[in-house]
Amino acid sequence: MEKTILKLDNVSKSFAKIETDEVTHALSSVTTTMESGEFISMVGPSGCGKSTILRLVAGLIQPTTGELTLNGKPITGPGPDRGMMFQKATLFPWLTVYDNIAFSLKMQGKLKGNEEKVEEMIKTIGLEDFRTDYPGQLSGGMAQRVALVRSLINEPPVLLLDEPLGALDAFTRMNMQDEILRIWQKKQQLAIMVTHDVDEAIYMGTRVLVMDAHPGRIIADLKIDQPYPRDRSSKEFVEYRNDILNKLHFAGANAAK
Amino acid sequence: MSSNTPETTPVQNLTRQQLLDLERKKKTKAQLWLDMLIYLLPFVGGIIAVLEYTQVPDNSLNRNPWAYLAFLYILIGAYAVYCVVSLVFLKRGNRDVIDKQRYRAPLFTALFLLLAVYDYMTLKTGILTQPFVPCLNFVINAFWKDRAIIGESTLATLRLLFLGYFAGVALGLVTGITCGYSERCRYWVDPIIKFLGPIPTSTWIPIMMVVASSLFGGAVFIIGLGSWFAVTVASMTGISNVDKDYFEAARTLGASSRQLVFRVAIPHAMPSIFQGCTQAMSSSCTAIMIAEMLGVKSGLGWYMNWSKSWAAYDSMFAALFVICIIFTVVTKTLEAIKRRVLRWQIGVNA
Repeated sequence: MEKTILKLDNVSKSFAKIETDEVTHALSSVTTTMESGEFISMVGPSGCGKSTILRLVAGLIQPTTGELTLNGKPITGPGPDRGMMFQKATLFPWLTVYDNIAFSLKMQGKLKGNEEKVEEMIKTIGLEDFRTDYPGQLSGGMAQRVALVRSLINEPPVLLLDEPLGALDAFTRMNMQDEILRIWQKKQQLAIMVTHDVDEAIYMGTRVLVMDAHPGRIIADLKIDQPYPRDRSSKEFVEYRNDILNKLHFAGANAAK
Repeated sequence: MSSNTPETTPVQNLTRQQLLDLERKKKTKAQLWLDMLIYLLPFVGGIIAVLEYTQVPDNSLNRNPWAYLAFLYILIGAYAVYCVVSLVFLKRGNRDVIDKQRYRAPLFTALFLLLAVYDYMTLKTGILTQPFVPCLNFVINAFWKDRAIIGESTLATLRLLFLGYFAGVALGLVTGITCGYSERCRYWVDPIIKFLGPIPTSTWIPIMMVVASSLFGGAVFIIGLGSWFAVTVASMTGISNVDKDYFEAARTLGASSRQLVFRVAIPHAMPSIFQGCTQAMSSSCTAIMIAEMLGVKSGLGWYMNWSKSWAAYDSMFAALFVICIIFTVVTKTLEAIKRRVLRWQIGVNA
């Protein structure tokens, strides 16, 4: 796969509030570059604009000022080259597991001849027995797994994860973290994940963007120099965590006020 | 150590049926006997109905007495066939059919008793005055005698019903889906719906009789209008209530705006659309009867009215039963289609 470069150049996004006269400055002059092979975790309090960045990259919304480019081309709308996974699985309840995974291929008229690709995806997440089930019959973890491979079936060079594990229980969550990492390591695409869990950000990311609110901005860009799989209780891990929490002004017991 | 299961199957290998059998509460002997009794009760009811008809002396003149008797025997025979079928299923290890029959048995019994009571009150005693409320033997005879014209009328009714219904549903889907999706379309159509909506369909009939060049065309229009209205409103709400998340997910998966309509919005609105279709059917059934009784010169509604004017009350009741059967079949069919199309809904809201 050729290298993908995503550039955010002085990107700002403001929303006009509906009820009041106010304007929310969700994102203020963000400039950064990301490329394939990176797993970028964005962490920060609510209102810091982390989801906004993701939605801008997905093309679901347009920036107020500034420009986003993917391999030099400006992003003007959503496209199958940027797969996105949401906090809710958003599986189409009227389609079976198989048809949900095949949805993207079908929309592009590419399903014919690619059926084994769908099968391969089903196998990746170990849901062979649920192929013909409807999403209403799946557990939360299963549904998120289906949503993950549904957004991966196009082999998008950019994978956007909008708090994909936020609604899962702790054990399913840790399993899914490893599952996502496994897939990402195999394909080496650019993965951008929004999370509010600092541990998750460090555990998964090659880079952690720490963000703050009012206005939304990046306050730190940390490289996590640790081999996978990471040990959540290692000294380095704990140091990263304290560092990030400090930057977010959640000074722990070991930080002097 | 003997357990109460004769052969111990490992739990992993249990079939669904075995599992259900295991989890079923063990019935006592008395309960089993009671079940058996209830299961056979419809036969008792049938025999009571037959005895009532043959043994109690008639109060008024009865012609062709065999028709009602044959009808009773057919019903009893049908229940016997039902028994055989469910016993075959039971032999093959499927308990569901016989359980369902056991569940329905009291109702079948009640039906036979109702028939007996009705016959007693009409033919045997005249508590319900003959011939205004005719006994069932008369109704069946009238049906048989007039079967050609009743058949024709049935076809006429069905033709009118389906023509109007499908025209209305098709147009309703088009307007409903377009308006649900396009803000501008809704701007223009919404006032029309708000204005026309509250007017009951039957109000249009006198106007139609004056304005329309053909009464048949007018009736199609009226039935169509009612269906159009119901389906438009239902599909419009269905489409405009589609969760925005689904659109976003579909867009990131590469769906075009056309595909957003046909692959996301419409399937998502399907439950609501079907609700509209069911409602349209019931309003169509009402409208068609009114139309046929007031103007259209064919169909079961017309036949009922015509029979009444000839004081042929037995024919009138025969038509009533046919109407009842037709509408039941139509509604059940619609229900079956709905269940099939919306099978993904099972468990969604549970």
